[in-house]
Amino acid sequence: MKKELRLTVNGQPYELYVKPNSLLVEVLRNDLGLTGTKRGCESSSCGICTVILNGMAVKSCSMLALQADGAEVVTVEGLANGGKLHPLQKAFLDYGAYQCGFCTAGMLTSAKAFLDETPKPTEEQMREAIDGNICRCTGYNSIIRAMRAVVNGEYEETR
Amino acid sequence: MINDFEYFAPKTVKEALTLLDKYRDDYKIIAGGQSLLIIMRQGLIKPEHLIDIKGLSELNYIKFDAKKGLRVGALTTHRTIEKSPIIKKSFGVLAEMENRLASIQTRNWGSIGGNLCHGDPAGDPAPVLISLNSTLTIASINGERNMLVEDFFLDYFETALEHGELLTEIQVPTISPNTGAAYTKFNVIENDMATVGVAVSITLAPKGGHCKDLRIALANGAPRSMRAKQAEELLRGKKITDHLLKEAGEIASAEADPISDIHASAEYRQELLKILVNRVGKEALSRAKKP
Amino acid sequence: MSDKYAVIGKSHIRVDGHAKVTGSAKYTFDIVLPNMLYGKILRSPHPHAKILKIDTRQAEKMIGVKAIVTGKDTLGHKNGPWRRFPELCDEEILCREKVRYIGDAVAAVAAVDEDTAEAALDLIDVEYEPLPAVFDPLEAMKEGAPQLHEHAERNINVTRRIEWGDVNVAFDKCDTILEEQFHTSSQAHLCMETHGAVADFGYDGKLTVWTSTQSNYYIQVLLAAMLGMREGDVRVIKPPSGGGFGSKFELDSAQFCASLLSQKLCRPVKIILTREEEFTATKRKTPMYYYVKMGAKKDGTLLAKEVRVVTEGGAYTAMGSTALYLTGFYSCMPYKWSNYRYDGYRVYTNTAPTSALRGFGAPQAYFAGESMMDMLAAEMKMDPIEIRRKNAVTPNYEVPGQAYIQSCGLGECYDAIEKYMKERGKLPLNGGIGIGNYAFMSGGIFNWFNTPYAFSAVIVKINIDGKVDLFTGACDTGQGSDTTLAIICAEELGVHLEDIRVHADDTDLGPADLGSWGSRETLMNGNAVRMAAADAKRQLLEFAYAKMKPNVVYDLDIKDHKIYMIDRPERYVSYFDIVQDAIRGKEGQTIIGRGHYTPHRKGMVSPAWGFGVQAVEVEVDSETGKVKLIEIVTAHDCGQVINPVGVLGQVEGATMLAAGGAFCEDQPMDNGKILNPSIGDYKVLRSVDMPKTIGIEVDTYEPEGPFGAKEAGEGLTSPTAGAMANAVYNAVGVRIKDLPITPEKVLKALKEKEK
Repeated sequence: MKKELRLTVNGQPYELYVKPNSLLVEVLRNDLGLTGTKRGCESSSCGICTVILNGMAVKSCSMLALQADGAEVVTVEGLANGGKLHPLQKAFLDYGAYQCGFCTAGMLTSAKAFLDETPKPTEEQMREAIDGNICRCTGYNSIIRAMRAVVNGEYEETR
Repeated sequence: MINDFEYFAPKTVKEALTLLDKYRDDYKIIAGGQSLLIIMRQGLIKPEHLIDIKGLSELNYIKFDAKKGLRVGALTTHRTIEKSPIIKKSFGVLAEMENRLASIQTRNWGSIGGNLCHGDPAGDPAPVLISLNSTLTIASINGERNMLVEDFFLDYFETALEHGELLTEIQVPTISPNTGAAYTKFNVIENDMATVGVAVSITLAPKGGHCKDLRIALANGAPRSMRAKQAEELLRGKKITDHLLKEAGEIASAEADPISDIHASAEYRQELLKILVNRVGKEALSRAKKP
Repeated sequence: MSDKYAVIGKSHIRVDGHAKVTGSAKYTFDIVLPNMLYGKILRSPHPHAKILKIDTRQAEKMIGVKAIVTGKDTLGHKNGPWRRFPELCDEEILCREKVRYIGDAVAAVAAVDEDTAEAALDLIDVEYEPLPAVFDPLEAMKEGAPQLHEHAERNINVTRRIEWGDVNVAFDKCDTILEEQFHTSSQAHLCMETHGAVADFGYDGKLTVWTSTQSNYYIQVLLAAMLGMREGDVRVIKPPSGGGFGSKFELDSAQFCASLLSQKLCRPVKIILTREEEFTATKRKTPMYYYVKMGAKKDGTLLAKEVRVVTEGGAYTAMGSTALYLTGFYSCMPYKWSNYRYDGYRVYTNTAPTSALRGFGAPQAYFAGESMMDMLAAEMKMDPIEIRRKNAVTPNYEVPGQAYIQSCGLGECYDAIEKYMKERGKLPLNGGIGIGNYAFMSGGIFNWFNTPYAFSAVIVKINIDGKVDLFTGACDTGQGSDTTLAIICAEELGVHLEDIRVHADDTDLGPADLGSWGSRETLMNGNAVRMAAADAKRQLLEFAYAKMKPNVVYDLDIKDHKIYMIDRPERYVSYFDIVQDAIRGKEGQTIIGRGHYTPHRKGMVSPAWGFGVQAVEVEVDSETGKVKLIEIVTAHDCGQVINPVGVLGQVEGATMLAAGGAFCEDQPMDNGKILNPSIGDYKVLRSVDMPKTIGIEVDTYEPEGPFGAKEAGEGLTSPTAGAMANAVYNAVGVRIKDLPITPEKVLKALKEKEK
């Protein structure tokens, strides 16, 4: 029996009816058409499905959709502000912090949630921020460089 | 593929306990679901009824006073524990352990209670809590009972939790003066599950500096989180030296019963326990000596 | 970075960047079509068995199930690209009579949703007759071992020999001889996007397939062959792709089964492999037993090398035949050997097939080779760099009968690493640095079917407003070929990167290219791009001549949207104006430039070579055996750097993959069953584990390559395992010859050393 789910995604409130065994990632991708968030494993290990829920980075494959009732969710599609990319997105572009791009949404949401919480992190802390996210292409270091650039204020004036 | 189940999201502990009693034959509790959903997605368990307790704010708290000690609600997330000023100040080893547990995403949503109830012998919280002589409270429709955390684990992924019961609180007694506690796990990939892990808590006598009390607890040293009691015996009441710590490591290693799996052989795990008990013991000792 | 170019050599935002950082790029994983069904594949639980009966009746009755196919629904063709060796085309994909590994496909279901399709699999009743199985190639080669394929006696799938000089005579002349045995392990590609396809077979008899692939051309040809269709009736589209690393240039079970199901129903069918299937039922890196004997004269001159390799082929050939050859070729590189012999044996086993994984057989060769070089250096009391430098290949060297090397920056790479090591100074206790070097091809000259040579073809189209469409078959799986090729096009044509639109995804639109494997796109497709751009440019310049009315002696060129006289650059006209004139003046004809490239008469392997020297610094905990990666520095020669930020990304990404293969990634098996088919259990480096990496480009110019460019990205996976083994030896005096270099192995070796 479907149950009511009310949540805000990228600033937009939704009222849905979902099966209790739906995962948050399924609702985001299939019901709301937000396919930016991907899935990469069945063991909750890769972090590709990371979204921001009430300010926290969480794995959307490891949460029942109904557990997001009343929550504010931000996906990669919600990072840009109208036509303006988020500083992290700009930094990722400039520093080549993505290659195939499949892990990028999760990297961006993990990085954003972390930097919102810890605006002046150490190098070690920045690595911790994305340690739950696997990337097979970049070797991570370009992502750290992009994050550092944002932390250092290289993209201040664009926001 | 997750089976179709009947879903309940109780708003109070009382409501939850009523549901657990009603469906006592076929239910599963979901809190953060960080362990549970993996097995449900694989279809390994298919409960008819799923009781979602994630919304029970009643069980989400960290309280401390010098008399009662630390009390943590079972639904407190790992991340909350990791960042709690109270815990960082007075139970630092808990915050350190949480900082190395899985990933930030898992810590943001997974709960300490859920972790303990999963009963994974490789889990990090259990040995640290055991080394701090922690207790826990289990509630059911019939009342409450308390037990030591070290008695909570029975076997692989099997705890003392009975049908109809809910873990509600974890208690850590105020740490005595002249006590040092530390935890280290060994893994090839940082923040990964422990190949083995060791938690040591040492309390020294105020003058003389001999070991008044200590606890050594192991992660993945056996089918359940265990205390290395024989190793403790060697050190209790004595002045702890490098030589004694080394010997303690050897004894702990011998009394452990680790498995062989694709990640490490039992022999290697025993080697690691030897080294880690020694190292973590040293660290705990040095922290105990700090003013 | 060079200032002589306007576009090349400067870092650019990738052409697909905005789509990827905003989540708007639609991968195969995301495609949903109207009326689409979801497919799942039933796979064998047995490593070796006869299929006696498949009963699909119960599954067919299930509500929501629309079609089921088994081997009986296929034409019985066997898949493979080997036009000259048909017996190597040995994989039915959907098995008809026999299964040969745990994971071999036996049936596929199309249903209204994934859950229904998955539930239907449980209702398909397959009756197997298990057969004796064999898992180790040495066992499989013995008389009396279970036979996987009728045509392969003693399960020997492929043999290769590479030889020159006379090693037996030469060994007698050597002052130092070393003989060793190594073993390399399995590794999974771990593309973040698993294999998948959406197949749409229409009532008009034409098939369109969207799939994550490294070569939509290969998939088109192979799929057409398996389905008995005309190639032109199969359209393969590659959406943005989530990684390949060598796993996606063969026809796979998702593509084949989705196409079969769609063909049966004339409805779109989508099959995306689960992560578990990705680990167990797709191709993987080739494990091998590696026997080597090396000899040198006392002054350090290498004289003779003999290699014998027995590889675990798995159940089918896949691309393993080429990998076997390349292991043999790279076993002599990058040194000058006057006497060399390689014997390679690829052996069928009842395990998941092994194929190409970033390096295509080279990393295994270099693990053993570079370990041996250090061992030889130690034996002869020579410096590890000195002995390598003394014997390294040089520009314009011919590997006897095999390959010709033009540009070679190895010398400069040694210089850079020597400088780095000197500056690094003294290491802490239990710290060590090890060196590894490599040479790698810029695309293989070989093709496997329908023509003897590799080829690339490109079309450049200039539109009336000056925007440029670049049509190519090159497949960007994340390595950035779209951007690299666009940069080359923009440079040649004298426009900006923003003017180029890359169309690199559709066999209907683009000319054929063999795809992205063997690090071929920059050089091979790049040459074709340059030629096509030059062709289009020439047409524009013809109009410009007419407008500018120069003396015939003046040459014209285009840069920064200006068509100018080379000798008097202050005289120019606007590129945009000329484009309009050229098109309007010719009845609106778009300007089309055509380009192509084939490495004709360039030896047996590749027309050009990338080189590099890597230094890996480690710290070993001698009580636990744990090896910590501290820093990895790579000096490499990729000719002209096209996109610096892209090249650095390749260095770092390759390092992560290679380091993983060297010390934590493996696929242990029990009777052919992979024991860790999940990301939790398959250990990979994460951001906290990744050491500091430094990439140093040395400056060379490769005459074969577009603007002097050659490969950067695949060769870089070669040196790390050997360098790491050498670093561990340097740190604590033990040598691990059996990958991966786990803490348990290191500790065991340390304890044995103590005795």
